[in-house]
Amino acid sequence: MTMTRRVAHAVAATAALVMLGAPARAHHSFGAEYDSNQPVTVTGVVTKIEWTNPHSFIYLDVADAAGQKVNWKLEGYPPNVLYRTGWKRDVTMKVGDTVTVFAWRARLGGPLAHSREVTFADGNKLFFGPPAGTGDGGAAPAVKVP
Amino acid sequence: MRTPFFIALAVTASSIAIAAQAPAAAPRGADGKPDLTGVWQGSSTRPGKWEDANNGLGVGGTGKDPNAPPSLGSQQVITEPAPYQPWAAARVLESFNKRGIDDPAALCLPPGVPRLVLVSLFPIEIVQTPKRVVFMYEYMNVFRSIPIDAPHPPDIAPTYLGDSVAHWEGNTLVVDAVGFNDKTWLTGTGTFHSEDLHLVERYTRVSKDRIDFEATIDDPKVLTKPWTIRTTMMLREGTRVQEYVCAENNQDPAQYERLLKEGVGFRRP
Repeated sequence: MTMTRRVAHAVAATAALVMLGAPARAHHSFGAEYDSNQPVTVTGVVTKIEWTNPHSFIYLDVADAAGQKVNWKLEGYPPNVLYRTGWKRDVTMKVGDTVTVFAWRARLGGPLAHSREVTFADGNKLFFGPPAGTGDGGAAPAVKVP
Repeated sequence: MRTPFFIALAVTASSIAIAAQAPAAAPRGADGKPDLTGVWQGSSTRPGKWEDANNGLGVGGTGKDPNAPPSLGSQQVITEPAPYQPWAAARVLESFNKRGIDDPAALCLPPGVPRLVLVSLFPIEIVQTPKRVVFMYEYMNVFRSIPIDAPHPPDIAPTYLGDSVAHWEGNTLVVDAVGFNDKTWLTGTGTFHSEDLHLVERYTRVSKDRIDFEATIDDPKVLTKPWTIRTTMMLREGTRVQEYVCAENNQDPAQYERLLKEGVGFRRP
């Protein structure tokens, strides 16, 4: 087979296939529990960090509009993924630190959200959680919709 | 006779370029077979160490670039649409519309095969000897210890990861798996199967950095024909497979229960 024919063959074969996104997701459905249409950015003082499986949590005291402290709970990656993302437990972020977290609010309401990006006092940023839509099936189902 | 000279020069130059770019060959074991031993990342096409290959977008959005769009950058799984029978396709679609709250992994159960190979957020360690190949998956901390050139035992009872045996076809390790229960998913959301699932996986280490993976999924009870998926696994030198004890603090089943009890809308429109 000539190179041109081989390439044409490969292109035709590829065109007949579908690229499936999604299986990189971890554990649970972001989309069921959290609403990607409700982004929220909160700044506050870290009161607790749970480095736990299947997900970690940051707890943050945030002042509401009336100046009252509200303790937010922010979900994120498990410790093994955080480690590979550049986090060091008890070093990168500690209780008492002031941080800003970009997140998406829970469908159940309240001070509960799924974290994405954490900005530290020195301006550095790290991802603590996955993008919106992770683990809820991706952009399209595995089957053709009739 | 300038033209032949230039052609010769061009051919020589391109040969050198190809030689310079050729990836390192796959290592081989004492038996002469390709050795799959190493720590691998599934559904990736990027060579290099974990932190380099997952920089920028990063798999599952773990990369360091905060300006990167929130998409799952490095994964790549090629498949035809899943050939489910109409009644079964409706069930897959229902899981998708429920945003996967029926995922066995949400209960910290084994997610399924070949799904375990495709989960690129967590690495896989392979240890190979002439008689046995062992796959250790960080995701859910499950393993498959697979004899090479041995038959399936006669007394298989259905299990989450089934019973696997392997043999070599040239440079390809072929894993034949049967004896599955019907409680896991094959790939993405809702891709259920029956206990009649027969899976054939083909692992070909085409270079030091890369395994070409192909799985043929046969399950006449739910599919209209065998379903083939393909992806690549990339070597991640320096990455270690870590602990993942999913049941430690799993709050998701309770959250799902609350969503359903309180009638909070979460279905796809």
